[in-house]
Amino acid sequence: MTTKDTLLTDSAHVNGVDIAYVDKGEGDPVVLLHGFPDSHYLWRHQIDPLVEAGFRVIAPDLRGFGGSGKPQEVEAYDMRTIVNDVVALTQHLGISKAHIVGHDWGAAIAWMYAFLMPRRVDHLAVLSVGHPGVFSTPSIEQRAASWYMLFYQFPGVSEQLLRRNGWRLFKEIMGGEGDHQRYPRELAKPGALTAALNYYRANRSPESELRVEGNFPPVLAPTLGIWSSGDKALLEEGMTGSAKFVKGSWRYERVEDASHWIPLDQPEQVTKLLLGFLGTEKAAAVPTRRRRL
Amino acid sequence: MSVEHTGVDVVVVGGGIAGASGAANLAANGLSVVLLEKQETYQDIVRGEWIAPWGLREAQILGVEDAFGVGGAWEIREWTQWDETVAPAEAETVDMTRFVPGVGGPMSFPHHTVCELMAEQAEESGATVVMGAQRATVTAGLHPEVRYTHQGEDHLIRPRMVIGATGRGCTVGRQVGVSMATSVHHWGGGLRVSGLDDWPMDVQAMGTEDDKMFMVFPQGDGVARLYINFPTANRERYRGAEGMSRFIADFELACLPDRGKAVYAAAEPLGPLKLWPSVAMFPEQPIVMDGVVLVGDEAGNADTVLGTGLSCSLRDTRAVCEVLTGGDDWSPGAFDAYLAERKFRMERLHFGADIIAKLHCEFGPEAAARRRRVRALMADNFAASVTGLLNMVPPEDVPDFGFSEFFAERLFRETV
Repeated sequence: MTTKDTLLTDSAHVNGVDIAYVDKGEGDPVVLLHGFPDSHYLWRHQIDPLVEAGFRVIAPDLRGFGGSGKPQEVEAYDMRTIVNDVVALTQHLGISKAHIVGHDWGAAIAWMYAFLMPRRVDHLAVLSVGHPGVFSTPSIEQRAASWYMLFYQFPGVSEQLLRRNGWRLFKEIMGGEGDHQRYPRELAKPGALTAALNYYRANRSPESELRVEGNFPPVLAPTLGIWSSGDKALLEEGMTGSAKFVKGSWRYERVEDASHWIPLDQPEQVTKLLLGFLGTEKAAAVPTRRRRL
Repeated sequence: MSVEHTGVDVVVVGGGIAGASGAANLAANGLSVVLLEKQETYQDIVRGEWIAPWGLREAQILGVEDAFGVGGAWEIREWTQWDETVAPAEAETVDMTRFVPGVGGPMSFPHHTVCELMAEQAEESGATVVMGAQRATVTAGLHPEVRYTHQGEDHLIRPRMVIGATGRGCTVGRQVGVSMATSVHHWGGGLRVSGLDDWPMDVQAMGTEDDKMFMVFPQGDGVARLYINFPTANRERYRGAEGMSRFIADFELACLPDRGKAVYAAAEPLGPLKLWPSVAMFPEQPIVMDGVVLVGDEAGNADTVLGTGLSCSLRDTRAVCEVLTGGDDWSPGAFDAYLAERKFRMERLHFGADIIAKLHCEFGPEAAARRRRVRALMADNFAASVTGLLNMVPPEDVPDFGFSEFFAERLFRETV
């Protein structure tokens, strides 16, 4: 049953882990990065239209999810490591510069990819999750909305709590949103739940929740931010506040009648927004290093 | 010429909850298992979708509990008993989550997806799962035989043991000479619906009004399984093209809050409406013989109104799997403990089902007066609700007095 929910075409061993991915079409490459607890399958409504519009679509299962490797240790899920997975995968595929599109954790990875690898990013499109500089000083309201992030911090306990009584707590957290019927099936596979929760453990410890994040380099790529009014965990200010961190052109789109899972709830609108954005803008000038005399 | 399969330890005939969970457990324990299911793919054919906490405990022991949670099972936490003799605001609610240690409340789930996941689990553990196995025929004996047809081809297996788990059809039982005495107290109908967004998903409802005994078992996310039990004399009431809409409309009930609007005005059918006589079945010959053992409904079952059919199935399967994985003695004598426990258990379940059916599935002014009296008795002394414990804890843990004629008499005739 679960095996039908896949469009994967290939797999590669990169950065010390097996990454399964979709590689479809020819043209300017677009990398689609899913979030928690999805897989490449999140993008099932966007992949073919992007291919038909002349893009080469790369949609990996991020480590820990779907058909990719699932290391069990928390350290394996540091954001930089996951960014390096994407770098290594694109290098493996002979891609030097790509449009980067991310949702949820995939958006957080896309932001960091844009900071660390400005020359490898053509256009950047982020869904749901704004710039980490905004998120690192959450309002009280936002803290309450992302209560579940803090909940995932107790290793060993939360798997058990989420699974007990027929995954009751997990189902309460997810509600009827996203691929809610598919998620428990995916996460019940050996090691999958721990791997997925490790994203939260490695990157949002209570300590880092409270730490005021330091300097992020400005994003030079033209950037499209998309947020949905039905998102129960993330606030609009997280996305709109991202504008000041983007030096390239900034575009913001608010999507109505969609939960957190925008690509599933408004598939045609997301496709249209991406097609109207990717490849349309020029990047801000990459700063040249000043010579100090 | 048939295709012959060799080296098979156990053939399980019937891929329902009993059969599929057994196949998964036996395969995980290293036995060579073939599971035969007559459906090509699992569909909603309206089977039991409520499982008691004590049944979930059996699922844990068998190692199949995740198939429930992952297959869409929803933990129900409260049980409200409505009734035409009680104002909606006065209806009593019981917390069901604390009866069995390590298990929460009962669960309601889509039967077919859970069976499918159990069959998948069996396959992943090394079992051979044959979907669309037709005309399965079992011959008992020291060297039992199973014949079936699959995609037009005849197959023959000579396993060491056959588990008959074909449910109320009793296909295997009839082939090996086990007949059933039956009794029918009332009829029932079931339908899976969505759209119950205003119905509290934590709460299961049961109740009696006019000539219907209704049940609402939430499955989360606005989905629920609805049942109505009704008098045998009235068994045609939901037949015909408009049957489904009459069934849903019958959830307009004065005893429910807002006259049941959260159900009757919102329910959208998700599957077929099935109607059945609520049969209690009593096997007339031993359910264990050389080479064959029966489990689940196929081995005899209590009136569906009690809701313990699936829990029983899993208990049977667990007991039989313990024999088959516990040693080399698979002779009928090795199943003596299973038979003794099952006999004791079924006596209690039949006794309890008779009380519940008489109390909630009989209709008219006299029956309503009886319910009113019993309710007063229960309010006065909580011990009078002992029969309801059968839905939570295993029958052997229910206090003995609940199964005495004295108790039944006191409950129904007000003799003190």
